[in-house]
Amino acid sequence: MILTRETAGGRWRIRPDGPGKVTGRLKYLTDLALPGMLHGVVLRSAHPHARIRAIRTERAAALPGVRAVLTHRDVPGLNAFGISRQDQPVFCSDRVRYVGDAVAAVAADTPEIAERALGLIEVDYEPLPVLDTPEKALSPDALKLHPHGNVLHRSEYRRGDVDAAFAECVHVVEETYVTPRQMHTYLETEGGLFVPEPDGRLTVYAPTQHGLLDRLQLARILGVPEEAIRVVSSPIGGSFGGKDELNIQPYGALLARATGRPVKIHHSRRESVRAGLKRHPMRITMKTGIDASGRLLAHRVRIVADTGPYATLGAEVLNFATEHVIGPYRYANLDVEGVSVYTNNGMSGEFRGFGGNQAIFALEGQMDRLAELAGIDPWEFRLINLRRMGDPGPFGQQIAQTDGAYQVWVKLKESPLWRERDSLKRAGEASASAQSGGAARPPWIRTGIGAAMVMHGFGLGYGIPDPAAGRLRLAEDGRIEAIFGYEEFGQGLFAAIEALMIDTFGIGPDDLRIVVGDTDRVPDSGSSTASRTTAMIWQALRRMEQPFRRKLLEAAARLTGRAAGGLTLAPGGVADAESGVLLIRYADLAAKAEETIGAQVHFHFPTTDLERIGAHFLYSYAAVAVKVEVNLLTGRVRVLDQYHAVAAGPVVNPMGYVGQIEGGSGMALGFALLEDAVMENGHYLTGNLDTYLIPTIADSRGTVAVEPVEELPEGDPYGPRGIGEIGSVGLAPAIAEAIHEATGVRVSRLPVDPALLIRRPEDLWKAVDGR
Amino acid sequence: MIERTNPLPAAADAAVISFTLNGEPVRLAVPPARRLIDVLRHDLLLTGTKIGCEIGRCGACMVLVDGRPVNACLTMMYQLEGRRVTTIEGLAGGAEALHAVQRAFLEEGGFQCGYCTPGMIVSAAALLAERPDPTDDEIVEALSGNLCRCTGYGGILRAVRRAVAIGREADGTG
Ligand code: FES
Ligand code: FES
Repeated sequence: MILTRETAGGRWRIRPDGPGKVTGRLKYLTDLALPGMLHGVVLRSAHPHARIRAIRTERAAALPGVRAVLTHRDVPGLNAFGISRQDQPVFCSDRVRYVGDAVAAVAADTPEIAERALGLIEVDYEPLPVLDTPEKALSPDALKLHPHGNVLHRSEYRRGDVDAAFAECVHVVEETYVTPRQMHTYLETEGGLFVPEPDGRLTVYAPTQHGLLDRLQLARILGVPEEAIRVVSSPIGGSFGGKDELNIQPYGALLARATGRPVKIHHSRRESVRAGLKRHPMRITMKTGIDASGRLLAHRVRIVADTGPYATLGAEVLNFATEHVIGPYRYANLDVEGVSVYTNNGMSGEFRGFGGNQAIFALEGQMDRLAELAGIDPWEFRLINLRRMGDPGPFGQQIAQTDGAYQVWVKLKESPLWRERDSLKRAGEASASAQSGGAARPPWIRTGIGAAMVMHGFGLGYGIPDPAAGRLRLAEDGRIEAIFGYEEFGQGLFAAIEALMIDTFGIGPDDLRIVVGDTDRVPDSGSSTASRTTAMIWQALRRMEQPFRRKLLEAAARLTGRAAGGLTLAPGGVADAESGVLLIRYADLAAKAEETIGAQVHFHFPTTDLERIGAHFLYSYAAVAVKVEVNLLTGRVRVLDQYHAVAAGPVVNPMGYVGQIEGGSGMALGFALLEDAVMENGHYLTGNLDTYLIPTIADSRGTVAVEPVEELPEGDPYGPRGIGEIGSVGLAPAIAEAIHEATGVRVSRLPVDPALLIRRPEDLWKAVDGR
Repeated sequence: MIERTNPLPAAADAAVISFTLNGEPVRLAVPPARRLIDVLRHDLLLTGTKIGCEIGRCGACMVLVDGRPVNACLTMMYQLEGRRVTTIEGLAGGAEALHAVQRAFLEEGGFQCGYCTPGMIVSAAALLAERPDPTDDEIVEALSGNLCRCTGYGGILRAVRRAVAIGREADGTG
């Protein structure tokens, strides 16, 4: 059933964080201000690659109103950061490696004075050759960007003998796919407020996807114990992976420590573009062969990722891509190699989809090309090779078994959009041979429908610390507190927690208080990444449900003199299980109970037993169909209708589910058709939202139907799967196939270049007249 | 009446600008070229109006001037002399009240992170004030200066259509 407000019925709930958002009352962390606060700004490198000969800050420091000017000399602890390896300097001392590198930071009474001071800092640079492609960086005589060279990470996976297998193949397709430097473009740019507290601690109000990890990283930089820092990290005006790594936090923290005053930093969009993460541009070459019946005999893949100057999660993204270029299909022989290369381009890093977007665009492109060569319907072709229930994962690893791939395959095949494709194809053939198929469309408008499969891992995978935790507590005022170390960046965390708490315990929304995004209060629940939060909260609640309910009911039994077995939790308080009559309110229970009533749990995200870093155990599946319209005069592609079947277990929060798939597919639309942060010689040519184009509402008018497949195998213990990323993946390859259906043109580079789709008018008229 | 002096060291060119802000008369001594977005967010701490590009492309800073949507990042204070400015905080006309568009955004899920939402709602409210029963083309036209990265716009379109329906019910014409 298509999920909508109507079909969801009473489970379509108003988000608890909604009223603050629609009225403008909700304070984002970049909205905060304190009396006497200073304004911080960061001096970024003038060059993509240079040696620093000298840094002179005296003139800036002498400007009235300037309270601090900091450089590498002023970092008391580790002058480096990075979630996975700490190779990014807080302040560069002798060398800059990209235009976002920080050289100095200023705190001043007003933003205007701070900006003026930046202009007074003198840096002597000695420009170095710019390594602006992975190829240049890999050449043997290239300068080394890091002591260990210019390779951040290599990955590989092999099974069987592909060379021998290619000799057996009846059809072989070889293609190179190129994907853009997509920007997260969260509407709220990076920023926050940094407050030295009277007790000597520092409070950091700045968005992140893992507050406790920011605290750890900042403690290392400041050279203080972690307890000396409190990180408040929600609400967040969008992140999509882009605020996972530290951004302005080191500068805010150092400036606040240096001045003893609150410091606010809020990036302009230009700085955000210049310094912030992007999706890894990848070049993926695939050679894939099948036998006469369409079975995949051999699949060879080479991935080259441009990771930019520093690591952040570049290695992990490559591991993910390596797994997902294999994806949901069975192969007789595999040979996959990837390399993630340091360059002097912008920072690449974690971004919704995490390398799966690039990988699956390429993989699905191969499937469509092979199907065409073999003369098999592209969707039937996928079924021939599809992983089914009982099959291992892409690396041959044990995975949590579902038949998700097949479930979404069937749903898509039965979808109205896919059925329309058959009639469209017939009409298309008719109009090519005679005067149009009755449509009132001008002959330069062509439509086509394409589809793609997605198998997307979630959680961080084998061998990576991936803790989960939660706490429940009846607070003194009678509210039941649900305490998790996750962050709200729009995905609907509050709504998911509320829905799960209500469904699990039968309490009312007013009985609940949700506590997240504050390192002083939350347990280490791991990061809010990798589509893992809803699943982790579900699993945490399953573990806490019995003990917490029992404690509440036993306390109520003692106070009311009834047997605990005859009591139940209800909105407002504990009630008689039979009659539903309220016996004691939660507030009274809290006031009278002898001890605090609570429960907590710590566990690890479930992982596979294959010892391969990053290999996943849990997957979500999606099948996406899309109808596009191509204007052959302009080469423009319009996305008309979309259909998404998603197999990810039970729907926790229908509004959030639809929103994640719709929103993710909006990003995929941009990835496919519009977006690229263009760089030349290590400098960004796209600096703001006038040249970096994300979809507007005018690009997004088509329908989006979302059909969840909720059934899981009998006894499945893992519950809802991740849906935060999967919506952002399948649309791009489906669009590419739809364009091919419409025009006959195969695209292998994103965003699609309209020039490829333009036809000269004389060709058009011939097509119309049947010549 | 709100009467404030800009915390900047009183620039030589500061002028006194009088206008109405969310229904209240305001007199401010500010440099005439200071941007409205800075006056709202920094000087008056009215942070419901957001900031995302500062070049008029994202719409996060949308406010109403004499009922028409304008980008506060492109508006200078001298342009506001004698004008009526409404921000998201003043849209519903009361602390607890919700505008029909706000209600519709809540019900349909026309937001996720919410950062584009005030600007989006201001633009939609301006449209409905002028055209209570707009076509989809008119909705798209009115909102095409507001970017949203989270929703893919599906929930936003549904919310505006719903606000139209709420308006019709209120009119008794639906
Ligand atoms: S901040 Fe004004 S339009 Fe973007
Ligand atoms: S809700 Fe996040 S940008 Fe629109």
